Amino acid sequence: MSSNKIVLTSSDGESFEVEEVVARKLQIVGHMLEDDCVINEIPLQNVTGDILSMVIEYCKTHVDEEESEEAQTKLKTWDEEFMKKFDIKTLLQIILAANYLNVKGLLDLVSQTIADTIKDYTPEQIREVFGVENDYTEEEEAEVRKENAWAFDEADTPKP
Amino acid sequence: MKDEEPRNWADLPSELTSLILIRLSVADILDNAQKVCRPWRRVCKEPSMWRKIDMRSLIRDRGMLDPLAIMCRHAVDRSEGGLVKIHLGNFVNDDLLDYIADRSRNLRSLGLGMCFPRVTRPGLMNAITKLPLLETLEVSHSCLNLSLEDIGHACPQLKTLKLNSSGGFWNSRNDDDYALEIAKSMPELRHLHLYANNLSDTRLNAILDGCPHLERLITDVLQA
Repeated sequence: MSSNKIVLTSSDGESFEVEEVVARKLQIVGHMLEDDCVINEIPLQNVTGDILSMVIEYCKTHVDEEESEEAQTKLKTWDEEFMKKFDIKTLLQIILAANYLNVKGLLDLVSQTIADTIKDYTPEQIREVFGVENDYTEEEEAEVRKENAWAFDEADTPKP
Repeated sequence: MKDEEPRNWADLPSELTSLILIRLSVADILDNAQKVCRPWRRVCKEPSMWRKIDMRSLIRDRGMLDPLAIMCRHAVDRSEGGLVKIHLGNFVNDDLLDYIADRSRNLRSLGLGMCFPRVTRPGLMNAITKLPLLETLEVSHSCLNLSLEDIGHACPQLKTLKLNSSGGFWNSRNDDDYALEIAKSMPELRHLHLYANNLSDTRLNAILDGCPHLERLITDVLQA
């Protein structure tokens, strides 16, 4: 295996030296390397050092994805444990970073983790956990309620 | 993309919001997620969110069946004709199937879990004849007299068939009839999964002859 090293630098100036095979898991880096194969230092402007280090940790673990069922199960367990470390705010930053750096596997993993967190939550609970403001007008809320004609768990009468 | 920390969830680019919300159940999206804020509602209304609909859960409370059928119609409406895959639970009935078939001519995959007799044989055939692009059909039922030959002719592209007749009906009809119908009418089949089934070697060979592209054949025999 090539031991060529690449230095990735975050927006706040933190540098990470990683194997080229790991760096290539970040597709944004992969494309840069294809365009110009002599680069060995890459500035990544849209991600901070603490988040970049998490992404690199993920990429190192997933660097050679073996087909065998045993290896897949092991990776899946690792993924689950990895995701448990983060609160929602961090997960949001990781999903933005995974999108910018173009790491498909991580993007899917974080999306699923967030979806699993909010399933069965009421709209109020979701707003509270994520700090989202309710920007609906009363008319719009009534419209949504009217649309939800199946509403089996609410005894709402339609508003005029 | 600018280097700004999201102050809150609603600031996420909409393609990322949809990547998350698409993993929620139909009920979670319609009853909860879309009510959170306007940006989420916009995402939940995009037809691309509704190309695949999975509502396969088994409902034991009969009072829930009709509300779920209404919710399902609403989900189908949102797909705006782009639905490619749908799996329905036991709330499905003839009217709902017809509604879906009329609005989803691009449907490639249909799954039906029916343990109440809310779907009739003509109702099912009526819907299936409107879905000529169907490649995958998964039916689990207990009281329907299916004509697989008619289904095969209506869906010339059918590549995957999963049939579970483990309820009452299977026992009242010669198992081998189904095999013959499959062999006669589904030449493009790649995957065939027959549950609770008791095929003779002769009929098995008929399937292998009639479906030359078959890559996988699974039969689960229920012991009496």
